[in-house]
Amino acid sequence: MSSRIRKSMAVALALVMVVAVAGLGGCKAKTDTGTGTDTGSTGATKGGTLSFYINEPAFIDPVNAQESEGMQVVNSVFDSLVDFDPATSEIMPSAAESWEGNADASVWTFKLRKGAKFHNGREVTAQDFKYAWERICNPENKSEISYHLAAVKGFDEMAAGTAKELSGVKVVDDYTLEVTLSYPFGDFEYVVGHPALGPVPAEELDTPDKVKAFLDMPIGNGPFKMAEPWSHNQGIKVVRFDDYYGDTALLDGVDFKIFKDEETAFLEFKAGNLDFTSIPGGQIEASIQEYGESADGYTIEPGKQVLTGSELSTYYMIFNTKDATLKNADVRRAISMAINREAIVTSVYEGTRSPATGIVPKGIVGYQDGAWPYAKYDKEGAIALLEKAGYPGGKGLPEISLSFNSGSGHEPVMQLIQSDLKAIGVNVKLDGQEWAQYLDKLDAGEFQLGRLGWLADYPIMDNFLYPLFYSKSADNHSFYNDPAMDTAILDARKVTDPAARVEAYRAIEKTIGEAAPVAPIVGYKHQRVGSARIRDFVFSPMSLAALDKAWIETK
Amino acid sequence: MTDRHIHDPLREEGHPIKDYRSGIPATPPSEDVTNADLSSAASRTLWGDAWRRLRRNKLAMAGLIWAILIVVVALSADLWVPQRYGDPELIDSTTVVERMLLKPSVEHPFGTDRLGRDILGRVIYGARVSLAVGIVAESISVIIGLILGALAAYYGKWWDTLIMRLADIFLAFPYILFAIALIAVLGRGYINVFIAIGILGWPTIARVFRSSILSVKENEYVDAARALGASDLRIMSRHIMPNAVAPIIVYSTMSVGGAILTEAALSFLGMGVQPPTPSWGLMLSEARAYLFTAPWLMIYPGAAILTTVLAFVLLGDGLRDALDVKLKD
Amino acid sequence: MLKYILRRILQMIPVFIGVTILLFILKAPGILPGDPIRMITGEKEISPVLYQTLIEENGLDKPLVQQYFIYLGKLTHGDLGKSYQKDRPVTELFANTYPNTIKLAFAAIVVEILIGVGAGIISAIKQYSFWDVLVTLSTSILVSVPVFWLGMVLQVIFGIEMKKWTGGAFFLPISGMSGDQFPAWVHLILPAVTLASVSTAYAARIMRSQLLEVMGQDYIRTATAKGLRHRSVVFKHALKNALIPVVTFIGLDLGAMMSGAILTETIFNWPGVGLEIYLAIGQRDWPIVIGGVIIVVFAVMIINLLVDISYAFLDPRIRYGGAAE
Repeated sequence: MSSRIRKSMAVALALVMVVAVAGLGGCKAKTDTGTGTDTGSTGATKGGTLSFYINEPAFIDPVNAQESEGMQVVNSVFDSLVDFDPATSEIMPSAAESWEGNADASVWTFKLRKGAKFHNGREVTAQDFKYAWERICNPENKSEISYHLAAVKGFDEMAAGTAKELSGVKVVDDYTLEVTLSYPFGDFEYVVGHPALGPVPAEELDTPDKVKAFLDMPIGNGPFKMAEPWSHNQGIKVVRFDDYYGDTALLDGVDFKIFKDEETAFLEFKAGNLDFTSIPGGQIEASIQEYGESADGYTIEPGKQVLTGSELSTYYMIFNTKDATLKNADVRRAISMAINREAIVTSVYEGTRSPATGIVPKGIVGYQDGAWPYAKYDKEGAIALLEKAGYPGGKGLPEISLSFNSGSGHEPVMQLIQSDLKAIGVNVKLDGQEWAQYLDKLDAGEFQLGRLGWLADYPIMDNFLYPLFYSKSADNHSFYNDPAMDTAILDARKVTDPAARVEAYRAIEKTIGEAAPVAPIVGYKHQRVGSARIRDFVFSPMSLAALDKAWIETK
Repeated sequence: MTDRHIHDPLREEGHPIKDYRSGIPATPPSEDVTNADLSSAASRTLWGDAWRRLRRNKLAMAGLIWAILIVVVALSADLWVPQRYGDPELIDSTTVVERMLLKPSVEHPFGTDRLGRDILGRVIYGARVSLAVGIVAESISVIIGLILGALAAYYGKWWDTLIMRLADIFLAFPYILFAIALIAVLGRGYINVFIAIGILGWPTIARVFRSSILSVKENEYVDAARALGASDLRIMSRHIMPNAVAPIIVYSTMSVGGAILTEAALSFLGMGVQPPTPSWGLMLSEARAYLFTAPWLMIYPGAAILTTVLAFVLLGDGLRDALDVKLKD
Repeated sequence: MLKYILRRILQMIPVFIGVTILLFILKAPGILPGDPIRMITGEKEISPVLYQTLIEENGLDKPLVQQYFIYLGKLTHGDLGKSYQKDRPVTELFANTYPNTIKLAFAAIVVEILIGVGAGIISAIKQYSFWDVLVTLSTSILVSVPVFWLGMVLQVIFGIEMKKWTGGAFFLPISGMSGDQFPAWVHLILPAVTLASVSTAYAARIMRSQLLEVMGQDYIRTATAKGLRHRSVVFKHALKNALIPVVTFIGLDLGAMMSGAILTETIFNWPGVGLEIYLAIGQRDWPIVIGGVIIVVFAVMIINLLVDISYAFLDPRIRYGGAAE
């Protein structure tokens, strides 16, 4: 049992895998400063209703909020303890006005704001955070996101059903929350910024009927409140919460419109019925020409409406290091070097991705350009390595099967990789599978070459290194197993000094890169577009919109 | 005979239009789809007459010629398409950026796709997939349908009940969902698409064949043959088959178009033929992102499906008239 | 008549049971790879305790045969279980999506009647005329068009190009169920036309051939010979009889549409049952797949039965049961 629990701890810092298009995230995107005025320089009233494309979310109740779609809604309805600057990912106050960790980063104390209210009018207290977190950890609630809190003392007991509360979470007084962890964890302050870890009012959940209603109409402490229950497959409407503790939002409300696919949503955008949407592959060039490209990639201004900023995510190929052919590191290195990442970026993604040079993407503190020596296109080098591996010109190399989840837009990338590998003499067979089946095969190790994408829940390096390369992590699909690296990763987590911690992780990233257990392909960038009438709209690297500062130019 | 056969065919088939939802343009077969009054002797001239009648039908002949043309082009593609238009599957990543999404021109009459491959070449190779699906899948349906239809009609009783109920169950299941579920079970890919579409097509064939046999079986010459001690197999092959075969020919010709449409739909949904194999449905699903920026991606594969299916529909219509098969329209 | 209806209902039962067995075979371990509980969170592993809870709660720890009978038992109480993914009752999910499917189906039927029947009548009355040839040709083309392609073409023409040509004055909504700009029914136009395309062609063909057949019959020729005006003969006598098979066809078509239209729903972002079941297959969300197919099959059967019954009223020549037995 305890090894399974360790496993769920492994997931504690895990990332969310990307199925198709980018767009998950983990953190708040709300700044603490703002104008607070009702009128702009033009004299127009700052307000309006913004219509925002999402897919049908899985959950908008924070107890189980996990994917990007529900997260947009949760992020506007709930405020968690800390927040991140939408542009720099810098950590900043939110429901907590200050916080500190003890000397070895194993006990954290958060001071809450006074006078902050829930949408039902009651004041938010430390008890509401404890309640909300325990609600997530209570196995009866079947939350799939409890891993966020796995570092908290008492988590294992709650997960196993032997404890009713998180022993590590202590309500010192109404405005002081003290969290004790099972092990030192310097990055914990980032974890509590996840929107799903916001407070929940217990009185709204005291009967089964209320619990059911809360699923479709959650009551939080954020800048917006639900206007009406979630209309499934159609839309979710939120309106400004006038009693908000910070600066009240400028928008009258946000209409999250639900579409099954981005193509249709984009057509609606073109027809003028949406203010913010994704751009389907293939339309990016034309969209940039038509709507202009945002200067920083995250902020929309009229005429500069297409967002192409980096996201905290990496698209990579996985080598099954247990496979008879691919356990040879030189074969893996040769394959990694044979892939023309630039061509994938320019042709398939029209420049909306950037070639990956390591597993940790740009935008994460500690990012190092060129971290992985074999994550670059070098055909001659690849041919030489293949020869070194004992397969000159691919002679004697059996056909390699490349598995992927089909129907999610990966086909063009896989075809380019197939052609690139053929050019150095490696014959590849494409094996598209359904997502459910593909996951089974990855878990069981019944594949040779595969693909996945990772998106950070929080902007920290550990998010990429522990889950993907720690030998016992459930998400280590390459089966990379280096005891020295296992020790190094666990040691890095205990380092309290942020700079020293980052250095430790950087060394780890470089060592793993040398072995090439995976081949990083591209880093994700936004491919979104907003209408010309939205103002002060920022869409963070973690794919969360800062809706509380945005407004609509109505004229 | 059970009571099922006295009702109006259109109704009693239960789901005559079932196939249309999935895009299959098969004409609803009826219970009286027979030409029972033809004797074996007459059948020799039947085919000659039918051919004469078919030749007079301009639309049907146009369909036939188009179908033959597609077959010839698809079969001979290896000899000239890659040389003229480049490999329809392989991509050169170093030049892909210059070659992608080119507008139709002399060099690339249909333009190029997002990976720089010539669309005309891919449309031509796509014909292979479509024709293969149409013919192989339809053959699977016909074989299963003939065997089960014959068993049901010839042996009757619980064979009949069992097989016809099984057919009911198959037809009650939403068609395209059934196909998707089968693909999910079998896995994606070329061969599995053949099998899935083939398996799903048998109930209608079985019903058509069964009712043909039933009406032929009552004829005196069958009784006479039986009295003379002919074996079941001999009666079936010498006396019943020749007379029950016309409706099957008509129906399966029309269904080839339906199978092509189903393959296109499955590939469009990502459940069919896998890349880099060119398939029209797959090309359309790739084209969806380029509806406005590169409409030629969508136009040509769509037109290819339309004209090919139309060829089989027109040919089927012509055959029906020529063979005087009363498939209800 | 009552006896006939009863027998028809009895006949439905084995088919219905057959469909449920088929669904449970699909669900059997090893048939369709992919762990449904694992799918709930995608690649993220859920805690073993939660995994076990979900397995037990959904009865997946029991043998398949036992699961089947438990399911049948619940089914008789109208309980279709709960979705794995969404943790909501399947009946509630379909209560949300089924009305959309019904709306789309009825809109498509309206198109089918207006255009299909209309074109068929014109074609028959003016046999061999330009219009007849046009209708015959265009119906052949329509049955050959892939519906998803037609949908895309219509979106480009009416959603985008039309807006450009008219400077934004006229265009149609290309997706979804509602919007600020248009009344809800306008959103139905393009999906309904797309969905109706194939059936409209068939309706026109059937109408034409039936009308021609009826008009060729003795009593019509007699009526015309007696000096009745051709048009009044057609509309008073011939049409009435010729319409019966057409109405039957349309009724059955309505039944078929009750099983949703995945392609049309995909192209136009129409949240109907077809799409819901399709997506659930990929997610291995068995309660939605099984419950959805059961609902759909049931709806189709009921409509077909209603069509048969009304057929008997429309055409007194039909005698049910008896005669040939």
